[in-house]
Amino acid sequence: MGVTKEEVESSLTSKLSPVHLEVVDTSGGCGASFVVEIVSGQFEGKRILERHRMVNAALEKEMQEIHALSIKKALTPEQWKQQQDSENSEATT
Amino acid sequence: MRTLEKELLEAKTVTLMRCNISSITPITNVKPRSLSIVSALKKISEADSISLSPENDGSVTSDCGVYAVYDSNGQVQFIGLSRNIAASVDLHRKKVPELCSSVKVGVVDEPSKESLTQAWKSWMEEHIAATGKVPPGNETGNTTWFRPPPQKKPDLRLTPGRHVQLIVPLEQLIDRLVKENKVVAFIKGSRSAPACGFSQRVVGILESQGVDYESVDVLDEEYNSGLREKLKSYSNWPTFPQVFVNGELVGGCDILTSMYEQGELANLLK
Repeated sequence: MGVTKEEVESSLTSKLSPVHLEVVDTSGGCGASFVVEIVSGQFEGKRILERHRMVNAALEKEMQEIHALSIKKALTPEQWKQQQDSENSEATT
Repeated sequence: MRTLEKELLEAKTVTLMRCNISSITPITNVKPRSLSIVSALKKISEADSISLSPENDGSVTSDCGVYAVYDSNGQVQFIGLSRNIAASVDLHRKKVPELCSSVKVGVVDEPSKESLTQAWKSWMEEHIAATGKVPPGNETGNTTWFRPPPQKKPDLRLTPGRHVQLIVPLEQLIDRLVKENKVVAFIKGSRSAPACGFSQRVVGILESQGVDYESVDVLDEEYNSGLREKLKSYSNWPTFPQVFVNGELVGGCDILTSMYEQGELANLLK
């Protein structure tokens, strides 16, 4: 029953080789609902829809048991770096 | 000199007055909370005028309260009340930019229907006392400033009913539907009562854009029987809601939310 955070992480890691990955189980433990933040070089040149598709495809097996998957961020390493830089500069100014 | 006994007596009287409030209405000192709320509200004459020039964007609060819209001659055109003043003022600016030059705002701290109405009344009364007339936008019959009554479109149905044999494959019906309508949202539940938080958010975002869109309830087993599975394969997308623009899948709730936050959605929906 349900899917674990580790299963989601390992599927995403093996298929999308992310440089940053954050999976949060928002189901309160029953494994039906996750929020994902992922940064991968494979997203380069892909529109947001295609990126989400890639994540969905990587989790095809798990999706059968996951009720809600929220992909909060699907960024390329470069976008990720920019975003962090801007956050840092906001914090320091 | 005050004595404890006297204080007790007074306290008792107050209690009594509270109990009998309906029968002894002339006594006003125990009367309503709404008075104290209104007293915290700024009067029109005290409120700061905020210019509605484009470079001043974002300076109007999105709190609850009352607002007065001024034209370029400094005349009050309309006094309104709103649960989100900034959003209401934005709508007015879109509709009648020539009448919206500046605005004054009175935030109501503990908004309730009563306190908001009370605040609105006090501003109207103040305005009428000062000018002798009702703002043109508040005159009966003037509909310029009011939102058109929310015309909730009915949700679209794909089939005449599940017991009717389709002559056209469901897939083709989906294809036609998304190509013939600019914006189509496939949601769980109806647009007036979405049955899932993600669908609700998508409906909210589309409505906030003021865009004309069609909605289809994928949970409607009677008229959209089989749609859920067919749509997933048609769009190659595993979840709902799904929003199509010009025949193409834009995405679900996450994508719409992020496009909305980045301001990309307005362009897409143009």
